[in-house]
Amino acid sequence: MAKWKSVETRWYEDRDALFRGLRRLDRRSFLRVSFAAAGAAAVSGVRFAPHSFQTVSVADAKEGREPFSFAYISDSHLYKRELNDRFVRSLLRAIDDVNAMDPQPDFVLFGGDLAQLGQREELDLGAQLLKNIKAPVRMMVGEHDWFLDMGARWRELFGKETYSFDHKGVHFVVLQSVNEADFWTRRGMTPMERMHTVAGLDNGIQSRFEVGAPQREWLKNDLSRYDDDTPVIVFSHSPLYKYYRNWNFWTEDAEEVQAILRGFDRVTVIHGHTHQMLTNRIGNIHFHGMLSTAWPWPYAPEGLPKLTVQMARPDPFNPNDGCGDGFATVTAEGLVDKVYNLWNRNPVDVPSAYLASGGKKSRPQDPSLASF
Amino acid sequence: MMEVEMNQRRRRGALAAGLALAVLAAGRAAAADQGAHGALAEAAQLVRLERMMGTRPVAPPPGYPPDVWDALIPADNELTPARVELGRKLYFERRLSLDGTVSCSTCHDVSRGFTDQRPVAEGVGDKLGRRNSPTTLNALFFQTLFLDGRAPSLEEQAKLPILNPIEMAQPSREATMAKIAGDGEYAALFQQAYGRAPNYDDLARAIASFERTLVFLSSPFDRFLAGDRKAISAEAQQGWALFNGKARCVSCHAINASNPLGSDNRFHNIGVSARHQDFEALAAKALAVLKGAQGQAGLEAVDRLALETDMSELGRFLVTKDRSDIGGFKTSQVRNVGVTGPYMHDGSLQTLWDVMDHYNKGGEANLYLDGGIEPLALSEKEIDAVVALLLSMTDDRLADDNRRLAAQQRARSRSNRPFRDDKLASRRVLPFEARVTGRAGKEQ
Amino acid sequence: MTRTLTALGLAVMTTAGGALAAPDLVPLRSADDAGVEVKLCDDETTVRIAADTPKTRAEGQKIADALMSQWQQKHPEQDWVARERERHAVTPPADNSGLVGKAQGQVYGQVTPLDVKTWERETLAMAVHGSTVFHSGDELGSTIAVSCDMCHPDAANTHPETYPKFQPQLGRVALLRDMINWCIEHPVRGTVLAPDDPKMRALEAYILAQRKGKALDYGKR
Repeated sequence: MAKWKSVETRWYEDRDALFRGLRRLDRRSFLRVSFAAAGAAAVSGVRFAPHSFQTVSVADAKEGREPFSFAYISDSHLYKRELNDRFVRSLLRAIDDVNAMDPQPDFVLFGGDLAQLGQREELDLGAQLLKNIKAPVRMMVGEHDWFLDMGARWRELFGKETYSFDHKGVHFVVLQSVNEADFWTRRGMTPMERMHTVAGLDNGIQSRFEVGAPQREWLKNDLSRYDDDTPVIVFSHSPLYKYYRNWNFWTEDAEEVQAILRGFDRVTVIHGHTHQMLTNRIGNIHFHGMLSTAWPWPYAPEGLPKLTVQMARPDPFNPNDGCGDGFATVTAEGLVDKVYNLWNRNPVDVPSAYLASGGKKSRPQDPSLASF
Repeated sequence: MMEVEMNQRRRRGALAAGLALAVLAAGRAAAADQGAHGALAEAAQLVRLERMMGTRPVAPPPGYPPDVWDALIPADNELTPARVELGRKLYFERRLSLDGTVSCSTCHDVSRGFTDQRPVAEGVGDKLGRRNSPTTLNALFFQTLFLDGRAPSLEEQAKLPILNPIEMAQPSREATMAKIAGDGEYAALFQQAYGRAPNYDDLARAIASFERTLVFLSSPFDRFLAGDRKAISAEAQQGWALFNGKARCVSCHAINASNPLGSDNRFHNIGVSARHQDFEALAAKALAVLKGAQGQAGLEAVDRLALETDMSELGRFLVTKDRSDIGGFKTSQVRNVGVTGPYMHDGSLQTLWDVMDHYNKGGEANLYLDGGIEPLALSEKEIDAVVALLLSMTDDRLADDNRRLAAQQRARSRSNRPFRDDKLASRRVLPFEARVTGRAGKEQ
Repeated sequence: MTRTLTALGLAVMTTAGGALAAPDLVPLRSADDAGVEVKLCDDETTVRIAADTPKTRAEGQKIADALMSQWQQKHPEQDWVARERERHAVTPPADNSGLVGKAQGQVYGQVTPLDVKTWERETLAMAVHGSTVFHSGDELGSTIAVSCDMCHPDAANTHPETYPKFQPQLGRVALLRDMINWCIEHPVRGTVLAPDDPKMRALEAYILAQRKGKALDYGKR
């Protein structure tokens, strides 16, 4: 007998046991076989590709709502390609992933931080690359896109930063949730200095993100047209809750925004900015983070939502590790089953059942290599 | 009285010597004959092996940490001279194949870098396999065997090619043992080695024991590592700096005292499969099959698909069914690469310059490409330096073959570099760009 | 008819702080009112005030602030420690004030408050220097405008307490500086630093500062 058993040997043994059991199938061996099959599947760690994944649930006749999916690409942080090719390559890879999805998603959300320093050439490069996405694209702005020219070029390229739309019975709202109280005027900063300040995640000079009173007013009015059983999905760059202040994993007026959303039975927030797998639930509101294509952030020293099952520690020797894209299936109920498509790893599912049950059902697998 | 005896002995000695010479001469004549399937005849291989190995005691390589060496040897197969001798005999034993034409040494030929220096293996009935034969040199240091790592030990590995219809084509373990059942010599050797009658598991153990003696880590590079600055050329030393730096080889091919191979024992998709026309379609099919028939039924369905269709390109995925392993193959050793071409899991890269070109341009973009593979922007001089380093890693005993093959590769690479892509290597065009935009690069 | 006043600036220069805005001084009575020119001890920086400016402490402070503001604008780097600390939190070093009055042996050579202040200031300055390098792609020599803080905000996830450790991808046992250099070479795509390069030493100082209090655990992966 070998001193050790590799995964493959155990897998083969389980498989052989299964086939032997299958050959003489009485009730007792049937039960044993079922357990062995479950064991073998668990040992081999079967994972399914998101590309071909399709939700099993059929449209609920009572609701009359058809499930659908949308994909996302987020936080690409582009420099001009002559300066940094790696970030461009990553965005191209994400576009390739999304274009290869079968069936194609209904639309693709871009989650913000298209550019790294808000430069015109960075935004233009991003816009040009995103044109290669086959499905329709919905844009959301991040702070790296905004604080050089306060959104001037963004608006020229992509239109208003705050808007809403309806799709298959679900109401989508896109917010600009990265406003900051003016910290630059009294310091006499140039636009570039302002941009550099905001671009530093741990830069203490900048203010905390907020949605702001005018946008909250707009949101209240926008939502007033809908019954409270309409599923609402909010796209926001900042998380719309308070996770870690020092890194602006934070929305200053989160409570006010949540109060506006609370009236609805089913609300999901999909946010960027955090470059990590993140799951939270406050009241009836579900929160999901998006991966970045450019680089992963570490988990903050405090404030991590309890529901979050962390992604395994990224390997610095693989520039793509901890990065990726993903997609979400909007169920017949109008909640979101989220899939994180981590590059060179198996995809991770965070179904709405996990959040709806407060973490008791369908818990995603814990990482084998945790952060420390 | 003594003198007469001594004269008699001398005459007998001379006679024996004469006979030996005659046998050797006959042997040399036989050596000129090729064995089956392109291999050198077994007898000639044995001669070469003896010359290289001598009668060294069975022991770990000098300076090798003894506790690490210990961990390499399974508890039920302690290394003894009897087991090595049995294993050596079996390694060259053609009767283990269905039609008596193929032995281990056919595809793991002593005269051809302990591999076959062909893109894919050729077995019984001249059937061609799907994958390149890894060398048995230093194979003992790997954590798993086969390019997809499906065997956890040398013992397990030895059992499979004998029963594979494309390789040695035996119908069963029993049929294999029946072929050598009548041989009294084997019965004795098995008894000496394992204290048992010949059986299939011990056969594999013996072959593994023999393979554990194939330690070929004595190269100019090793002397350089030990401190001899003149052991390798300045160019190769520059290659070593690049290996650990700009060329990023060390990310997967790290070499150190307890793992001297230059392999991380992991599985990476570096894009070679992507050159096969239907690789991604196969991957999609396999994933669909897995999803459609869930759990155990899905796993069986993939196994069936693997046998019936050309899913070999999916590599490690066929063993683990993990999406992250699609198109992944085990990191090969960098030792003795000068004599173990052609390269990659399908033997599609003929020269080390082709290998460098492949990595330099960032592999081949595909949905499952390992994120550590990216364009390197190495210059020609830098490529030559890394190749010089790799050539210095060939064991001294294979130096002649190394020189000859290196010259062949160099000549070929001067006229033909099919995998070279300067635009990708210099990052003027980016990987995935052509796939996504349908154009190559920015119009400048 | 001008009188120059100096010396006020001296007192103001020792206060640390952020950039000062131009204070509201008592305005000059008219365009041709010469007023009084107040000059800083550097013999260059001046500010003109009205002759009848009341000689109160508050007014004096305003004059000093105005001079300081000008001087800081002319010398942006002199205040680099404060400027950097405003941007990035740097953990202060251990508090040694408990050692004041203690000595090794004789009374001569007792630890004084100035000693404690000097130790703290110099040690912190090294860590703050590290912070400036850590947060700047240019300082690191990056050719792709990547800085350490992009993956390691506040030096999170650097784990200096786990070195030395064997790193297979480096092919050897690595110290913190080896990993720093690997990061500079690959994710940052800059030129590696010599081990005793002031920037390397500063980077180590900053990273170690941010992990103050963590137990040493060399070899941990």
